[in-house]
Amino acid sequence: MNSFLKNIKKEFLIASRAGLEVLMPVMYLFIIMVFFNISISYVEKDIIVELIPLMVWISCLLICVLNLETIFKEDYDDGTLDMFVINDRYIERDIMAKVISHWILSNLPVVIIAPVLSLILGLDVKTTYVLFITLLIGTPTMSLIGSIAAALTLSLKKNKILISIIVLPMYIPILIFGTSAVNNSYFGIDYESEILMMIIIFLIFLLVSPIACSKALKISLD
Amino acid sequence: MNNLLIQLKDISLSRNDKSIIRDMSLDINSSTVLNIYGHNGSGKTTLLKILTGITEPTSGKIINNIDQYGSIAYIGHKHGIKNNLTLNENLLYGDSENFYNQNMIDKVIGKYNMGKYKNYLAKNLSHGQQKKISLMKANISSSRIWVIDEPYSALDKDSVCIVDQSICDHINSEGAVIMSNHELIANKPFNINNIEIN
Repeated sequence: MNSFLKNIKKEFLIASRAGLEVLMPVMYLFIIMVFFNISISYVEKDIIVELIPLMVWISCLLICVLNLETIFKEDYDDGTLDMFVINDRYIERDIMAKVISHWILSNLPVVIIAPVLSLILGLDVKTTYVLFITLLIGTPTMSLIGSIAAALTLSLKKNKILISIIVLPMYIPILIFGTSAVNNSYFGIDYESEILMMIIIFLIFLLVSPIACSKALKISLD
Repeated sequence: MNNLLIQLKDISLSRNDKSIIRDMSLDINSSTVLNIYGHNGSGKTTLLKILTGITEPTSGKIINNIDQYGSIAYIGHKHGIKNNLTLNENLLYGDSENFYNQNMIDKVIGKYNMGKYKNYLAKNLSHGQQKKISLMKANISSSRIWVIDEPYSALDKDSVCIVDQSICDHINSEGAVIMSNHELIANKPFNINNIEIN
């Protein structure tokens, strides 16, 4: 087992002992979807189906923002982050392990459940598949972007609002490409360019985030 | 012969126009124990954080030979352990780079008389026992330098003896220990350099 997998295994072990906390993002998704559907229940069925991808995307975006604070918070509070930064030879690798495990634990269940809910609400299979793909690329990108903001605001006591203010404008391109791809698929238009753009944004932040995070963590601990 | 591990040259640190550390020079050699003592707010913890590299000084130079000798184990006011992991798991997963086998872990747990609590979650242990886990983490690591903020706080008499023995073993294997306390430390089974910070 290499160090990367060891870190991920540790995060999973800690999460498995945190009780029902792991289910919170999925519960939150259910609540948002129910509220959305109640609020637009007077609208025609065809229009509701068109709005489902948008509903799902906004729900996932909000869930992602709410979770961001937790990426480094526990490590900061219990002092393990100090050791993390001191022995910084492989800090970028350790940051990647943290962000990936955070995404798997907080966002992947939503990425899996959201398309199932969309199918139940009447979205066709092909569009649901595209929705799943866009979420699979978009949510890790959002986690990578958010990890920078989470690291920057770590030492602030009430940092949730500040994280949202920092990350939400940066999420706009992902939201636009994600919803466009799903809408294009729904109307039978080509959606590959949107998916490609999402992959490019993901790759950029995959390279940038660990480096930016390591600098931001050092600033927060100083 | 003692080897120079870290050297601080004319280190100063200011925060919000307030000087915390002024023109401090310090040599950290192998096989030495250094006690930095002073009253509350004198800058002891800040100095330890400068030594570890967590805090950047405002001016001065840090000559760091750590890469040559290994890494630093830092035990601050926070214990650096995971509440939802057991004692055993905290040692197993505590260091992201190094892998320890169960024999090594059992040995260090035995040394600190904590065998009974091996499978207890850290959150169910007392403050002193949690402190011992963080000391065990330093003990099991390959770190040449231990930087410990108040190593004896929350520890009973027997645990203090165990910590002293660990420090002895560490400096005998060419390690160095830098600790901070509120008072001068004497009558220990190892030579200790006391430095007062105001």
